[in-house]
Amino acid sequence: MQMAVQNLIETHNLTKRYGKALSVNTLNMKVPPGAVYGFLGPNGAGKSTTLKMILGLVRPSAGAITLFGSPMDEKNRIRLLTDTGSLIESPSYYGHLSGEENLHIIQTLKGCTKSDVDEVLKIVRLTDAKNKLVGHYSLGMKQRLGLAAALLGFPKLLILDEPTNGLDPAGIQEMRELICSLPSEYGITVVVSSHLLSEIDQMADHVGIIRRGELVYQNTLESLHAHAKEQLALRVSNMTIAADLLRQEGIETQQEEGWLLLPMLEDALAAKLIRNIMEQNISLYRVEQRETSLEDIFLTLTGKESSL
Amino acid sequence: MKTLQLEFYKIRRRNVWLSMFAMLGIQLLWGLWAMRNPKDWELASGWMSLLYSLSVLDGLMMPTIMSLLASRLADIEHKGNTYKQLKTLRPAACLYQAKALCGTIILIVLLALQAAFFILYGYCLGYEGNPDLHHYLLSYGLKFASCLSLFLLQLLLSMLFANQMISLVIGLGGSMIALLVMFVAHYSFLPWGGILSSTLVGMDWDKTSRIITYFYREYSPIETAAVVCIFVWVVVFYAAGHFLFTRREA
Repeated sequence: MQMAVQNLIETHNLTKRYGKALSVNTLNMKVPPGAVYGFLGPNGAGKSTTLKMILGLVRPSAGAITLFGSPMDEKNRIRLLTDTGSLIESPSYYGHLSGEENLHIIQTLKGCTKSDVDEVLKIVRLTDAKNKLVGHYSLGMKQRLGLAAALLGFPKLLILDEPTNGLDPAGIQEMRELICSLPSEYGITVVVSSHLLSEIDQMADHVGIIRRGELVYQNTLESLHAHAKEQLALRVSNMTIAADLLRQEGIETQQEEGWLLLPMLEDALAAKLIRNIMEQNISLYRVEQRETSLEDIFLTLTGKESSL
Repeated sequence: MKTLQLEFYKIRRRNVWLSMFAMLGIQLLWGLWAMRNPKDWELASGWMSLLYSLSVLDGLMMPTIMSLLASRLADIEHKGNTYKQLKTLRPAACLYQAKALCGTIILIVLLALQAAFFILYGYCLGYEGNPDLHHYLLSYGLKFASCLSLFLLQLLLSMLFANQMISLVIGLGGSMIALLVMFVAHYSFLPWGGILSSTLVGMDWDKTSRIITYFYREYSPIETAAVVCIFVWVVVFYAAGHFLFTRREA
């Protein structure tokens, strides 16, 4: 008998309301262990609010959160978060302290060892700059320090909200590689939010897409890719008869803006069906091969206003 | 305890102690200047005059000093946007308590140094006898409570508002209010008048002889109520800060 895998994060009808505005609406998120879960959505969709609710920084208006299999409440929040690292929106730091001193504060609060500090500094490549005041760090270095603080103690779960914000292309690439390596190298499950589909596409293996506070898609990235299917589009003089003919051959069609859409077919079958249609004195004006890209799916799910 | 230790660790290089010592230094310089060359009648009532003068000085300066202290402690968190990280590692109540306790310890050190210096200075000037331990302890106890209420008020403002000008302006305004209170009454129910309410020494200035007579005040019921009010403010500001900070979303 196969054991059900316990999700690290589960939200049940999670809702956040600010006055009349609904920021997060009955959201049911499921993050399996060992995943890099890409939390994707346009700016203002409710990503940060959701992540803040999971971390207990924002109180939900309704719904519940289960972390590591335990329902989270105000009493057990800190205990449950012991195995969690986070970087929300922008890195937190004390500019008048050095990088190492900043990490010493987190190290003390998390109760981990000095060697952990050295290791995370090495991972984010800040060892040489550890004695420099953080106020003198570049934005990218601060972001890396934030990631180091989140990684301290090597928690089971890492929650990163737009971690590549403010990084240069090389830094973005480096951050992506690091995030991708965390599950395999350290056994860390990662939730990473972004408004950029390409970024999530390169990092995540699971994806949740949020639009106006609602989770409109949640599955593996592979499954999302499967949606990016190819289609044949026919433009004919009589779509009704043509659709009936195709149905008789076992081909389901859709009509869209004067086009008859059918799934991708073998060349021989496509030729046969076209011949059949033309034999019924139906004029064939156009045959097109269409591809629904990941971007198209994302835009369909999130609305045309989304950035990619 | 760890969180409290970290509060002191976090204020490294922020010159919090230096700014507090600078404020104390101003008081000391004032003392050195104002109390120099005492006359015989001043030496006779020296210890009482010292208590009175310190109350006036603290009444004027402490609202500003406390706003400065609270602001220095709180703005490091605002500048680095650290509350959202700290609140995932410690309960908000624990963070608030550590901040309040850190400021309280600094306040105690500040008042202890002030008392030590001025008592030593009193001996150097040749004040007659010894300071009345009972009145000095009571006076400093009440002064501590009054300063604590001001600190907790300022801490509340400094932790809630990222813009530290708000709390600093209120601190300066508090000093102005204390000055106004000084002209009209010996007591006040306002938090900024607490130090004046708890001044155990009164004075009487004889126009003709130009001699000041100091005496220990007899407290009327309303003056006693004003002293009790200091403790009420401590509880109110602590509870308000605790409630607002813990309820606040990051």
